[in-house]
Amino acid sequence: MPFNRKPQKFNASIREVEIGVGEKAIKIGGENVFPFYTFDGDLGNTPKVGVEISDLGLDNPVPGIAAYYEGCTTAAQMAKKAAEMEGADFLALSLEGGDPNGANKSVDELVAVVKEVAEAVDLPLVVEGSKNVEKDSELLPKVAEVLQGKNVLILSAKEENYKAIGAAAGLAYNQKVGAESAVDINLAKQLNVVTTQLGVKPESIVMNVGTATAGYGYEYVVSTMDRIKAAALAQSDATLQMPIITPVSSETWGVKESVSEEADAPEWGSREERAIAMEIETAAADLVAGSNAVILRHPQSVATIAKMIKELA
Amino acid sequence: MTLFDVVFKGNDAVYGLTESAINDAVAKYGEEKAVGFPDTAYCLPCYYSVTGVKVTNLKELKEALGVVKTLMTREQKLNDAFMSGVATALCAEFIEALKYIDGAAPYAEPYYGHLADAIIRELGVPLVTGDIPGVAVILGKAPTAEDAVALVKSYQAQGILVTMVGECIDQCQSLGLNMGYGVRVVPLGADVTSVIHVVSVALRAALIFGNVEPGDSASLMKYTMERVPAFVNAFAPLNEVIVACGAGAIALGFPVITNEETFRVPKSLIVQPDVSKFNATSLEARDIKIKITKIDIPVAFASAYEGEIVRRGDMQVEFDGSRVDCFELVHHKDMSEVEDHHFELIGPDFDEFPVGSKQSIGYIVEVAGKNMQADFEPVFERKFHSYINCIEGVMHTGQRDMIRIRISKATYEAGFRAKDLAEVLYARIKSEFDAVVDKCQVKIYTKAEDCTKLRHEMAIPMFDKRDERLSSLTDETVDVYYSCIMCQAFSPSHVCVVTPERLGLCGAVSWFDAKATNELDPAGPCQVITKERPINEEIGEYEDVNEAVRKFSQGALEDVSLYSIMEKPMTSCGCFECICGIEPFSNGVIITNREYAGMTPLGMTFSELASMTGGGVQTPGFMGHGKHFIASKKFMKAEGGVERIVWMPKELKDTVAEKLNATAKEVYGIDNFTDMIGDETIATDPETLVAFLTEKGHPALGMDPLM
Amino acid sequence: MALNGIQIFKLTPKKNCKECGCPTCMAFSMKVAQGALELSKCPYMSQEALDSLSEATAPPMKTIKVGAGDNEYTLGGETVLYRHEKTFVSKTRYAVSVCTDMADDVAEAKLAEVSKVDYERIGEQMKVEMVYVNCGSDAPADKYVELVKKAAATGRTLVLGVKDVETAKAALEVCKDGKPVLNGADASNYAEMSKVATDAGVVLGVSGASLDELYDTVAALEKSGNKNLVIDTTGATIKETFANTVEVRRAALKNEDRTFGYPSIVNVSKLTKDDKHMAQALASVFTMKYGSIVVVPGMDYADALPLYGLRQNLFTDPQKPMKVAPGVYPLNGADENSIIVTTVDFALTYFVVSGELERSGVPINLVINDAGGLSVLTSWAAGKFSSGSIAKYFQEEIEGKLKCRKMIIPGKVAVLKGDLESKLPGWEIIVAPREAVELVKFFKDMQANGEL
Repeated sequence: MPFNRKPQKFNASIREVEIGVGEKAIKIGGENVFPFYTFDGDLGNTPKVGVEISDLGLDNPVPGIAAYYEGCTTAAQMAKKAAEMEGADFLALSLEGGDPNGANKSVDELVAVVKEVAEAVDLPLVVEGSKNVEKDSELLPKVAEVLQGKNVLILSAKEENYKAIGAAAGLAYNQKVGAESAVDINLAKQLNVVTTQLGVKPESIVMNVGTATAGYGYEYVVSTMDRIKAAALAQSDATLQMPIITPVSSETWGVKESVSEEADAPEWGSREERAIAMEIETAAADLVAGSNAVILRHPQSVATIAKMIKELA
Repeated sequence: MTLFDVVFKGNDAVYGLTESAINDAVAKYGEEKAVGFPDTAYCLPCYYSVTGVKVTNLKELKEALGVVKTLMTREQKLNDAFMSGVATALCAEFIEALKYIDGAAPYAEPYYGHLADAIIRELGVPLVTGDIPGVAVILGKAPTAEDAVALVKSYQAQGILVTMVGECIDQCQSLGLNMGYGVRVVPLGADVTSVIHVVSVALRAALIFGNVEPGDSASLMKYTMERVPAFVNAFAPLNEVIVACGAGAIALGFPVITNEETFRVPKSLIVQPDVSKFNATSLEARDIKIKITKIDIPVAFASAYEGEIVRRGDMQVEFDGSRVDCFELVHHKDMSEVEDHHFELIGPDFDEFPVGSKQSIGYIVEVAGKNMQADFEPVFERKFHSYINCIEGVMHTGQRDMIRIRISKATYEAGFRAKDLAEVLYARIKSEFDAVVDKCQVKIYTKAEDCTKLRHEMAIPMFDKRDERLSSLTDETVDVYYSCIMCQAFSPSHVCVVTPERLGLCGAVSWFDAKATNELDPAGPCQVITKERPINEEIGEYEDVNEAVRKFSQGALEDVSLYSIMEKPMTSCGCFECICGIEPFSNGVIITNREYAGMTPLGMTFSELASMTGGGVQTPGFMGHGKHFIASKKFMKAEGGVERIVWMPKELKDTVAEKLNATAKEVYGIDNFTDMIGDETIATDPETLVAFLTEKGHPALGMDPLM
Repeated sequence: MALNGIQIFKLTPKKNCKECGCPTCMAFSMKVAQGALELSKCPYMSQEALDSLSEATAPPMKTIKVGAGDNEYTLGGETVLYRHEKTFVSKTRYAVSVCTDMADDVAEAKLAEVSKVDYERIGEQMKVEMVYVNCGSDAPADKYVELVKKAAATGRTLVLGVKDVETAKAALEVCKDGKPVLNGADASNYAEMSKVATDAGVVLGVSGASLDELYDTVAALEKSGNKNLVIDTTGATIKETFANTVEVRRAALKNEDRTFGYPSIVNVSKLTKDDKHMAQALASVFTMKYGSIVVVPGMDYADALPLYGLRQNLFTDPQKPMKVAPGVYPLNGADENSIIVTTVDFALTYFVVSGELERSGVPINLVINDAGGLSVLTSWAAGKFSSGSIAKYFQEEIEGKLKCRKMIIPGKVAVLKGDLESKLPGWEIIVAPREAVELVKFFKDMQANGEL
């Protein structure tokens, strides 16, 4: 008696969202099966990998990253270099320097960086804000404005500022809107509902449902993604059928395991290897949980995850 | 002459002007001459929005005028007047377009004339977020220059974008008012036709932000009506042309407020003789709410002060409801009875009280709003405690007429007075409940005799009435229930169905709370569940409820009953106050609560029961619930009701005794029912319990078998 | 479907004899329904009742025990595909792989490294639990036995990857007391291998060229009476392995096909060869998706830190959040005079708060209260993080240890400030911001204002 296969096919599917323009534009989403369940049906577009650079340049980089960007003095130069990385599908520019509690760069200063980067590369662009809700509601609409015609993804509109960012990115300047919520299916859903009520088309929304590093409350990320994909596919919940993007590196590079120098933790060995592993293992878990795109930093992580996707898809 | 006739006359006049202006232009430049406005992709924006046809040269403009003519029907009907208003606006656009022929710059400082697409994209964001809560169009000549400036400034202070047409611009200039796009005061032009430039902004916004297809005039007008919070302030005297333009504004959903005694059209053409009230009248007419971002009081307001204690020695004055008459109250009134942000102090202010003295206080927050309901009053009122505690150096305890407030010396010395207390209440209520509160005013009474009188004659009767409503409300008397999924973060498939007689199992969400949550946050955790399709009313099963539960649990739950613990019982999250579980040997149920750590006759403690019952899984025979549910007539109604209760921890039994006994008396005629119920001082094993129940003649022993 | 407690109770003798260890038959029934107790613990259950219940209460996936003594591990026994439905019960175990094809010194170096990773993380000891000893296709039996002996010396539970029956027998001779897994059965040898495993009293691993072949082999083994199995779902490619592993688990749990109701072995090492980073990625993938034993090419701290963290998160009870032990956690070189920050023992709160405090660079004593493992607001609402509980803990445990009398409390429980001041005379209570991300700025401001 042969094994009786029972594929889980769904009538619903995840929406397809296009980011970028021209030859290098990418599409994410479109699947009607669970992540990498190729044995059940069509995976749609394979998940995509982005390389993250920052307006702040390199801050205490590990040798591999320092070497990769050697000689780059501007964000545009870094962007060009990042775009050549093996496995890179898109570029993610973080404007963390805008954080009022940090470098607190002005909106004009950051917008100048954004323009410079956008002109330097033809890879699809994802722009991450300063993570400060007030600053972002001022900054990201300007970013959306200067990037008109580039079809970029703006991360992120949150509950507190989705109106400003959603209206600018999704309505005024025809970009894609990243809707960010904090690891809870209902919050994710609610944000999608109010963002579409604002007039943003569902096919212009990508979710960031919240993220964590493996070991740091990661169970919430898994369960949130598991439940969202199940609701979107099995329950045909149209308010959760947006694809998911997960900024992995901004989390993983901040934890103790990635930050401690070898001198502080000799038994742990090379800091660079630890940081790469944190990034790779978290990203791999995100992808099997349901992320349609991940954002990474280290060339080794980008290459490995891109290869893993190719192997699994 | 009717209002319609005035509109038609104005329309005809403008049409005539337009026709001759176009003819003159054709004569001068020839038909192929290009027309249009600079920096817009939507030429001519208004005509294109309404018809879907672009106009690029004089020939097409002439054809367009022909189309406009077809709008100008002349029946004495509302639609004819509106369409004539729209026709007037389009004519104005044509006249304005002619001014721009050959790249002319017809408008010079301080006038703006046509506004570029880029400005609309930029304006769209703050309009959507409410940072620009409205757009005022001021037209004509104010009674005095000071009136004009005062009106503009009042809007500016609220963040409203002001556009101006005609002599009011000269008036403002004469008094040196700073004008310009940067300060959100935009003088459009001297001629009345320049008003079209703000209409053009509204219509292009509909195309850009509303994804409205050009030519879909129904969607266009729906969008401007619902999403563009503009209104017109037209100063007397009004001529036919202005009235005709006004009809166009009204067609787009923009009310016109004027100080001329003229025809009145409810909500659309409003006469307000007092120019100083234009602001309030306009905001109310257009339903504009101003966001409050800062509370203007002399001390800090932050949640960090919530736990502060003001000690006797540090206290300037104390209001103590346990000793003298005090009360706090939210009262909802008719829109016309409330003046927004009004404050009244009846009695002495804080500086007239001796230091350290005990005084009376009564404060009434009167609210009004189109969506306001009496049921929200207690919901707002319960927030006072945290609002007042967040004031630096002010302590508040209790509620209703049992409040105590202490104000510290330092806070008093910083200048904190009664008006500041009112300001906090006003600002918090308006910002937290802006979905339902349109207007809010505060009255504070500090004379002992007033407080005594109002407490007994107004406050207490209102509290009693509310309590009565709460207790008289049954599941049968309401049309809808509410879902609550606040707990799904840790109990993923759990859905609470909240009914009047069955509050959320956390004990914190009553039917009223769920209702208020729903109205204040329509996309939030509480959603309406209808109950139109009963399956089995005895156990409380409804097709509608099942559908809702399926949807909100993402399919994890199929169906639930509201009143049974044996058949498809409601699921439990993790935050229930109590758990009941069947005790087979006595044919009843025991109830235990979170605070009781000891053993129950089931052989399981609260936490053991919780681990088996929680997590949003249906566990027949066991169910989490709130304390107040115990005395409900719906408590396991399907299995016979509260008569089944055989055991509770003593403390819990004492807490619910009064209400539970009343229910047992009413339903079964049993007196002092709780005396028959066991507790931990009587038994923590089934055998001793059954012996006790037998001795007391507990009714559960003789009831139908539970399983 | 599994029976609920009430249904089981109806079949019990209802005499509350307590011989099963439960105070009442109802408590017993509820525990059986939960899978926490076996039905056979009740000595008075009638045979009829046992028969009717055993089928219904039999788990969809068998619980298999491997290893001996302190190294005994439970595999399988899962009832759900997603952790939010119910807790995952048996953690993924990691096996480092050695092979007879390796040079002796290479294999020895690997075995020496097995014990290197050994650390505690939130109350759990993290280490490599198993060694996978692979027999190369042409390796002579004695060579394999030698390697098995060396591997056994690590003290780890072994998984023997060997297809030759005689070699397997020889290897088991030297290690069967440690209850290894004999991962050697396939369509060609299952009958003989099964006998070897049964004779040695060890679990048998089954593999197949395809899912169909695997299915038939397992069915045949079951028919022969051997249900002490694990299924090696490793395929020829990464894609196939992922498909196999998911299909096997899903068949068992979702489709109730009990033939596939066994734990799995996923040999990542075989799939990734020398690609260390790909092995990291796949170890993570198969921890997420249904690997019971995941075989990796090696395990150093870089591999382990994220992997064990992931596993610890994944295998938590969604109802019971992870807790850290109450106590004083000195940060940034704090001494007894350093300022005190206090919060709850919910692990996530601890990680987020301690991370931000570390970023501030200020020496701080982080004092963790016993708040039942709940978050700040939840524990406060439940009365487990109250002025009373904090004051008691500080008076009994903290005042003797630390000299500083400035305590910073979470912004979300600002309401406790006044009460704490009255309950803890001599203490200054400072309210922190509501969100942890604001802590760095908070301390920067405190420093700027000379408050530190």
